[in-house]
Amino acid sequence: MTPTQSLLVVIFAPLLSAVLIAFFCRQRHGLAAAISVTAAGAIFVFSLIAILATGTDVVHASSAWLHFGDFEVNKGFLFDDVAKTMLIMVAFVGFLIHVFSLGYMADDPARGRYFGGLSIFMFSMLGIVLADNLIMIFVFWELVGFSSYMLIGHYLNSDEAAAASKKAFIVNRIGDLGFLVGIVYAYWHFGTTNLSEMGGYVAGNPDLVKISIAALLMCGFIGKSAQFPLHVWLPDAMAGPTPVSALIHAATMVAAGVYFLIRIDFLFPQEVLTLITWLGASVAVYAGFCAYGQNDIKKILAYSTLSQLGYMAAAFGLGFPGVALFHLITHAFFKALLFLGAGSVIHGCHHEQDIFKMGGLLKKMPITAITFLIGTLALCGVYGLSGFFSKDAILIAGGLGNTPIFYLLTLGAFMTAGYMGRLFWIAFLGQPKSEDASHAKESPLTMLVPLIVLAVLSVAGGWMGYWPDFLGGLIKDNLDHLHHMDHYYAMHKKVLIFGSAAWIVGLVVSFFFYGAGAKEDRLEKKAAPIYGFLRSRLWFDEVYNFYVEKIQQRFALLLNFIDIFVIKGIFVRGSAGIVGLVGMCSRSLHDGNLHTYVYWFLAGLILLWAVASGLL
Amino acid sequence: MTVGLNAFILLAGLLFAIGMFGVILRKNTLVIYMSLELMLNGVILALVAFSRYNGTMDGNLFVFFIITVAAAEVALGLAIIVALFRLRQSVMVDQLTSLSR
Repeated sequence: MTPTQSLLVVIFAPLLSAVLIAFFCRQRHGLAAAISVTAAGAIFVFSLIAILATGTDVVHASSAWLHFGDFEVNKGFLFDDVAKTMLIMVAFVGFLIHVFSLGYMADDPARGRYFGGLSIFMFSMLGIVLADNLIMIFVFWELVGFSSYMLIGHYLNSDEAAAASKKAFIVNRIGDLGFLVGIVYAYWHFGTTNLSEMGGYVAGNPDLVKISIAALLMCGFIGKSAQFPLHVWLPDAMAGPTPVSALIHAATMVAAGVYFLIRIDFLFPQEVLTLITWLGASVAVYAGFCAYGQNDIKKILAYSTLSQLGYMAAAFGLGFPGVALFHLITHAFFKALLFLGAGSVIHGCHHEQDIFKMGGLLKKMPITAITFLIGTLALCGVYGLSGFFSKDAILIAGGLGNTPIFYLLTLGAFMTAGYMGRLFWIAFLGQPKSEDASHAKESPLTMLVPLIVLAVLSVAGGWMGYWPDFLGGLIKDNLDHLHHMDHYYAMHKKVLIFGSAAWIVGLVVSFFFYGAGAKEDRLEKKAAPIYGFLRSRLWFDEVYNFYVEKIQQRFALLLNFIDIFVIKGIFVRGSAGIVGLVGMCSRSLHDGNLHTYVYWFLAGLILLWAVASGLL
Repeated sequence: MTVGLNAFILLAGLLFAIGMFGVILRKNTLVIYMSLELMLNGVILALVAFSRYNGTMDGNLFVFFIITVAAAEVALGLAIIVALFRLRQSVMVDQLTSLSR
């Protein structure tokens, strides 16, 4: 079996599963789950086969898909080192989350639809990972948008989920508009959308890099990875089932924006990179603040995801795409772990999501609690865990490249530790604060095994030295480059001190400020205005709502009025009316009576006579 | 005694007018048809009179053609009216209004 064939299996297994489920298994839930999980397993196995078969080689297979005159759309794989690293992460985390879903969704009445959605998501995501040209990426980009829409809106009878799914879709569409224009511009500029061909042109002539193309393509990233100012959809997307939040809105899809940037990093000039750095750093800090105003365990994690995506964007903008990829991979492990842990907690507490109604879960659900703690520590960047290595590298890159960014990101690290500490101490320690929490039981094995595996990866995922040769080449290159920069050792020490201070101070302060298993938010009681400010999330939603409701909607009404009265009323109806009137008049001439015709004939004669004699 | 041209023109005009009013006012297709012939005859009479007073044969020649064509036309027209009657059992124009549909 050639690597290309294995990759074809990888990409078509989930599609086949989705088709089978959509046509035959909508009501046969058990069968649907089995098919979907088998497909996810097959993806993982065949990804491994493809990676082992290629080793460190780059596989590039491409063939024509569509012709429009001179314009040709290709379908193909660009299976290089970055794609391999991403593929194995998506396949593995995806498989674990499928297994977790078996337990989490066991009682859901629409499991068939859910697993079909997961399969179509895996298909689209793998398409983005493997695609070798911008148009194919765009097609799969829209498909992940669709699957995200479908899975956020899984709970059909909840208005919140319906609104959130629409919001996610529409906000993404705004970014995708820029993306699409960027693709057209790139094709116009380079004459191709193939990634390696464009890379070749740019390598040959660096002047070909254009700010406008990079900025337009960046819009797609901003929408998908929920960066400023399109970040508003991600927290709302938590209305979907928790494994979906883990898979799509933490580990893979939102990271696809960053992955896309890494794939086309040769197109980015310094100006756009700087912009991305500032965007990323500001989201990292902003989301950290917002997380303090949330009580819903999933929303806190959603803001944490936003903040970590900001770190990735900052790393990319600082000129270290490999470091961004590194953080993407380690983040996928520990954030999937945290979300699945939250899922396990929510499952145990009978769908209670408010952390102030949990408490004491460490005793009730020890395995969930311990794995969640590992995830928390990895996220905070405790020395030796995966998050430490990637975040450390980002901070060093910031410190060596751009000092204000370094301080912003360090502030973000303090915030991260603070809100994660708040979450952990309140939800897992102390006494149960509600009926549901006091009856919490440890989750079944299908949910615990993924947690344990992910906990192991959250600890060990960052040990670059143990990664096989054929994975993470870009990461190793970038880290190597970083290690040989001037002042690396001084900066490394500084980051080690700041980073460790961040998690120690964050966790300890949150412990003493909020208290273990607190019943209510102390910040809310002591400093209501500050809490209200944090809860308001800088009024982004309100501003957007105001814009849509008061400005866009009025403009739309005006256009509608013009459409109905001017275009439809005057032009369309008016011209139709005139023609109709002429028709009515000429029809009345035609009554079938011979005498009428004779009179008209006479009238015609008189007219002719009048004209001929010059009277008229 | 000679009859002046004016008398011929007057007679021809009268014939034409009678024919025209017949066409306009009568309902029976046959009568309308006869009235049409009457109008034709009025014109023929005028042509003959002009020919006579001009002293040429042009008008007379024209009249021969008209009479020949009119004979053929009458044969055809009557045949159409007969066929119409067979189809509709009526030759009254106010009942033959199917063109309006």
